[in-house]
Amino acid sequence: MSDEQQQNAAIALAREMGLSDAAIERRQKIVGLEAADLARIAAIRDIVLPRTEPYADVFFAHLAALEEARPLLTNSSLLNKARKLKAEHLAALVSGQYGTPYVLQRIQLGLLYAKARLDTRIFLGAFHHLLHDIGADIMKYSTGDASERFEQFMSLKKVAFFDIGIIVDVLVFERERVIRQQQEAIRELSTPVLQIRDRLLLLPIIGVIDTHRARLITESLLVAIRDNRAKAVVMDVTGVAAIDSKVANHLMQTVSAARLMGATVIVTGISSAVAQSLVALGIEMTTMRTVGDLQGGLEEAEQMLGLRVVADKSALRYEAP
Amino acid sequence: MTPVQDEVQVAVESESDIVTARQRVRAMAAALGFSSTDQTLIALAVSEIARNIVSYATRGVVTLSEVTEGGRTGILVVAHDDGPGIADVGLAMRDGYSTARSLGMGLPGAKRVTDEFEIDSAPGRGTTIRMTKWRP
Amino acid sequence: MAATILKQGKVLIASIQAALSDRELIELRDAFADRVGRFRSHGVIVDVTALDVLDSFATRTLRDIAYTAKLRGATAVVVGIQPEVAFAMVQLGLSLDGIATALDLEEGMALLAGIEEDDPRAR
Repeated sequence: MSDEQQQNAAIALAREMGLSDAAIERRQKIVGLEAADLARIAAIRDIVLPRTEPYADVFFAHLAALEEARPLLTNSSLLNKARKLKAEHLAALVSGQYGTPYVLQRIQLGLLYAKARLDTRIFLGAFHHLLHDIGADIMKYSTGDASERFEQFMSLKKVAFFDIGIIVDVLVFERERVIRQQQEAIRELSTPVLQIRDRLLLLPIIGVIDTHRARLITESLLVAIRDNRAKAVVMDVTGVAAIDSKVANHLMQTVSAARLMGATVIVTGISSAVAQSLVALGIEMTTMRTVGDLQGGLEEAEQMLGLRVVADKSALRYEAP
Repeated sequence: MTPVQDEVQVAVESESDIVTARQRVRAMAAALGFSSTDQTLIALAVSEIARNIVSYATRGVVTLSEVTEGGRTGILVVAHDDGPGIADVGLAMRDGYSTARSLGMGLPGAKRVTDEFEIDSAPGRGTTIRMTKWRP
Repeated sequence: MAATILKQGKVLIASIQAALSDRELIELRDAFADRVGRFRSHGVIVDVTALDVLDSFATRTLRDIAYTAKLRGATAVVVGIQPEVAFAMVQLGLSLDGIATALDLEEGMALLAGIEEDDPRAR
């Protein structure tokens, strides 16, 4: 990924995470970052700046000792990018400017870690190690008495915690993204629309239909109607676990939407028991064409499309007029 | 719930403003990453609400803003007018109700396609509608 | 105007290119009414492929167009409703019950031709 692409990815993620200017200010407030802190950080700037490379090395050396960090360390291009960003970050850490550009930089680094599947425990451990070394140098080289130097370190730590908040959120967000994608893939597999002959689609539905799934099924069907130029759809609900009034409503909506696109839906697989209970619930199913079984439904659909069944000595052949 | 972006305000007075309101909310929804289907639903809800303003109240304002709450992002639509107000909100929210030439599908329909829907209206007090749709 | 009416034999076709204002929709309806009578058209096709939203007013106007056409002995077909629009309409409770629909212009013409075939008056 080029630098520009990385920048854009960070901007997009910041947006998704809701990291507006207001949200960033809020986060700074949450860690208690104030003007006095900025003054103290300015005082130790010259201790940290010349040492950013060695500090970055400490960070990665710590990771090198960990089995879990292997994916990052064995990927040389990721590692080099991460090193560069880390050194830049350490310089920015003492810059006193912690607004949007700073946050975007953190996000970029977070995305790299996510890509390397570096999880939060590992990141926290390495970061702590790094902070410890910076702290030690502040105590050693800074001016003022011990309590002043301690306060300087504590001010820097506020920024560090601000950082941690962002990086951890990025890691969690990215992990959830993967889970969402997997869930999406599973859902897609569960709503197959099959073209069984010219202009005729078969939609077998199995399992539970909740509002979300009903919507997915309808959307898939409508797109399939357009792509296949379908005029007839056989929607088989034999495999649907429970057909109550809500599910019946979903089915009717699907039928209505398909009709708006010029396709007729024949619903098959509604047992007489289910049909009766729906009538008892006051559901008007008359707007839907229903046929008992799938075979019957297919035959009716074919008739509707004007396909004729021609009897042949050896087998039944379907022939278009 | 905090609005995190500058709001977009659309003055609604004529029917061409209905189209404007619809297009602005669709653009905002697209920028926020809503799916194409959801963009259409939001645009439709705003269209119906804006239409009500033009039909019953002559003029009003539709304000669009981005909102976040607990990590999720959404779009908030606030429609306000100083029109005559709705005497019986319950009746108006019932499907099929209409006193004017529109289908009367506006309010119940808009409520159906949004996640949160509040209406505050009374004769002489005008009408304010707040609706939110969250991005899944 | 964002919609012009073309005549193809006994069929009038209007392709709506962009969001029409309420006034333009009414103009379209009246234009159809006028031409159906003048040309004694058998069919009317309204192509809404380019529309990304069909709200209650547009839906009502389409119904008006269909009704006006029927009064003058013509059949109306609405074509080109896109998947998202169909979905949104159904969610909102808008329907085009009683009006013929088809996938696109080609299908719309085929539908009208089929109706013609069955109609003894067309002979």
